[in-house]
Amino acid sequence: MSNIAERNRQLLHFIVLPTLLLTVVLLGGLRVDAHTKQFLFLPPPLVTLLSAALLAVLFLRAGALELHRWLAIEQPLLVNAAHLLTLLALFFASAQAFNSVLPEQGLLHGMFSFLFLWTLWTNQFAAFDARRLLRSLMVLFGTAFVLKHLLISGLDSPKGSWLGRLTATVLQGVSITGPGFAPATGYISFVALAIYVMALMLVMPPPVEVSSSSEALLLGDSVARTDSLNPRPEDNQN
Amino acid sequence: MACCFIIQVGMNKRVIQITGLVWTIIYALGIIWIYATQPRSLKEVATNTQLAAGVYEVNQEKFNNGLGLFRRDQFRAAREEWAAADPAQHDPRTQFYVAYSFYREGWGRTYDDDQLFKEGLTAVNRAIEHAPGGSLTVDDPDLQMHTATELKVELEEGTERSWSDLNPMKLFRQRK
Repeated sequence: MSNIAERNRQLLHFIVLPTLLLTVVLLGGLRVDAHTKQFLFLPPPLVTLLSAALLAVLFLRAGALELHRWLAIEQPLLVNAAHLLTLLALFFASAQAFNSVLPEQGLLHGMFSFLFLWTLWTNQFAAFDARRLLRSLMVLFGTAFVLKHLLISGLDSPKGSWLGRLTATVLQGVSITGPGFAPATGYISFVALAIYVMALMLVMPPPVEVSSSSEALLLGDSVARTDSLNPRPEDNQN
Repeated sequence: MACCFIIQVGMNKRVIQITGLVWTIIYALGIIWIYATQPRSLKEVATNTQLAAGVYEVNQEKFNNGLGLFRRDQFRAAREEWAAADPAQHDPRTQFYVAYSFYREGWGRTYDDDQLFKEGLTAVNRAIEHAPGGSLTVDDPDLQMHTATELKVELEEGTERSWSDLNPMKLFRQRK
């Protein structure tokens, strides 16, 4: 039984987790043009890389990422290399998650970028643990998703919603939104964010030590349940 | 017995780790490639994959259909067929014919259509770019220009402005 659990843990840690993160990297920049229905792959803008860097620091400060468990001199080179790639995938997945909910251009691009950076910067000085950080990120991305794909996309609607007409009247001559995208873009973004949150649950260690897997299940917290997925130096010894 | 079990577990771990590492690298490279090539549809993803794998081939039936239309002076229809035959615009011979169709459609006794000639120039440049060694010869008795370089020069001259454009003898020139 422990052999099976061990193998599953290894599979999740070395194969499933990087796959999830890289899928976010792939989908985070994918848009579908409203008119031609063609794919557009947008690489992460500089501001999303900066946001991802701030988020990485936040992960470390909150203890969501315990770097000494991921990269350690005692671990074999193969394990360190795999972990390094996973961490890189996490960084770019974070950047693409921001890219996914950031308006592409116009006034709102600037506003969203500023708000992301401001939130991440102020969070650097707040007391966080892994669980609270995960919830905070879910709220941050959830809010940005709703604003971009539900409210702002209405501004681009060909029929023109009342919100669109009102905003166009208030901000005459100012480009507030970017190019129009098909509704499929919102679905793709939703899937990308869902996968990102799922991957974060696999990455983050529990806020409190859980002594056994049964106890973890009793806690009913997905974060706690992932205790066994985090790299432990003793697991990685061959 | 216990020793064998420990060795087997260690082996499994190593296999999973190596598989994970290799898979992560391949997937990451695939994503970089997709963002670099910017495919616009799933069909284009498949075409680009064929190109990368070196198994890309022109649809010969559609190419021949296009050739038939070209010989009947139905240039736009011919280009539609060739676009379907060579969706990646990677086959030098097809791109040569595309350029030639722009030349013949844009050619005029008194003046040439600059826009069509420019599109022809783009197509012939693609043909030269993808031709082995940058040199392409098409043995087609129906054509009067057989190399991509000849066609390119003809298209370039057609888009240039010079005093020779006012030469009345130009009225007697023939389409190639």
